[in-house]
Amino acid sequence: MIRVRRLSHSFGADPVLKDVSFSLEKGDFVFLAGPSGAGKTTLLRILYAALPLQTGEAAVAGINLGRLPASRVPLLRRQVGVVFQDFKILPRRSVEQNIALPLEIRGLAPRHIERRVMAVTRALGLQDRIRLKCGELSGGEQQRVAIARAFVVNPKVLLADEPTGNLDPELAYRLMELFKQFQAYGATVLFATHSEDLMRRHPGAYTMRLEKGRITAADWPGAGVFIDGAGRTVHSRQRQ
Amino acid sequence: MKRTVLRLIGRGIADLALDPAGTAGALLAVTLTSFLAGLFFMLLTTLDIRLGMARGESIFQIYWRDGMDMDVVRRQWQEYVHLPGFRSVRTYTPEQALEELGRRIGRAGGDLDKTFPFLAADSPLPATALVALSPSGPDPERWLEETSAYFRSQHGVARVSAAPLQNELGQAWKQVGSYVLWPATTFLLLALGLSVGNTVRLAVRAREHEIEILQLAGAYNWYIRLPLAAGSAALGLTGGLCSLALLFLLHDRLGDVLNFPPLSLRLYFPSPRAVAALLLAPTVTAALAGVLAVRK
Repeated sequence: MIRVRRLSHSFGADPVLKDVSFSLEKGDFVFLAGPSGAGKTTLLRILYAALPLQTGEAAVAGINLGRLPASRVPLLRRQVGVVFQDFKILPRRSVEQNIALPLEIRGLAPRHIERRVMAVTRALGLQDRIRLKCGELSGGEQQRVAIARAFVVNPKVLLADEPTGNLDPELAYRLMELFKQFQAYGATVLFATHSEDLMRRHPGAYTMRLEKGRITAADWPGAGVFIDGAGRTVHSRQRQ
Repeated sequence: MKRTVLRLIGRGIADLALDPAGTAGALLAVTLTSFLAGLFFMLLTTLDIRLGMARGESIFQIYWRDGMDMDVVRRQWQEYVHLPGFRSVRTYTPEQALEELGRRIGRAGGDLDKTFPFLAADSPLPATALVALSPSGPDPERWLEETSAYFRSQHGVARVSAAPLQNELGQAWKQVGSYVLWPATTFLLLALGLSVGNTVRLAVRAREHEIEILQLAGAYNWYIRLPLAAGSAALGLTGGLCSLALLFLLHDRLGDVLNFPPLSLRLYFPSPRAVAALLLAPTVTAALAGVLAVRK
């Protein structure tokens, strides 16, 4: 579902990602771990075509990012749900309008949109907030709106950039359960976080660790070759 | 698809209410710019009409049918002094016309009594009037046609011929029109368009965050641009209408403020063509700016 091979990226002279390779199959759940500045957000941005592919290869949901013209970027984004670190919600629009946005873009009939929006808002505990403008919500509620917007389209691939960063531990845990449920329906989830606690509480998920743009640890076969913390070349099949 | 397009247009217009302060600011800017352009148009129209009034006079030669009752014709002659822009009238009964003809031929060396002795008792020439009028209204050619039609419609009139306007000032103004007026008007409309376009572009840029979110959610460019174009066009049109309302108010209140001797300067409302330009220019440029403000 996601295939990345020898991906490198730099901003000017500063390399941000170096020779990153991994692949995720349908239904995989991977924590993308690493400290701030490790390249997690850059990797995710490349995967939803917000940044161009500079070196290497990448394909998401069968779409080759290296050969993706600008006119077809929306097609990719319709396959991918993204939860952004800064939420990217519309503060002057209601919760309902924000969550319905990707469905309207896809041209769904209003009755289908309403049904799906209601289902996802109930799942995320937002049903009482549905008519409020997003600008009036707390940070945690805004984050849930962002997650609901990503969930509502049933994407094949879900990319989440620190989606629980603004939530209290209990809510974060509940949301993780939703992500897991989502995975159970066959979605591939790449979940960027630097919360060790969150990863510990979900031992069933794979983990890929990024440090200074390189994969330094990975615990599933599709993670490819990487350099570990001691500078050794390691194949992920060896399992850490 | 049609429903989607209509929904997006409606949303674009409704979205103007999302940021009332921003929309009000942009609307004010569009209105004032259009108003300034309208004011300039108003001055141009006034100048054009005033110069048109000073374009001298046009002579209408009116011929009546043979055998017309001269009492009826004379009554018509008496009414000509009340025509707008009346300068002078010279009238000829059939006998006077023959006499005048004889005098003119005589002047040229001929003698009517000797040349046409059989005509002296029964003139074959029709009753004739030469009416000199000054043009009124902004369009002298139209005025010429309408006045000719008026004379033709009178009882017993057989033929009307009108001498074209011959006036150096008129000619000069025509040249000014072709060399200065149209370029100035084009420049004005361009300035209006650029100013309005830039205002709208800045207003749309303020919604960059929203545009980015739509792009990230998988919206095609047309889906993003259509509501922006619709909203911007609505803004431009509203601004144009507001500026016209202001112009109308100004014209209504101050149109005659300089209309006293010796100035006698009355302000004229811009022509329908200028009014259409004042509405179209901000609407179209605003819509275009709305479309072009979205970066791919």
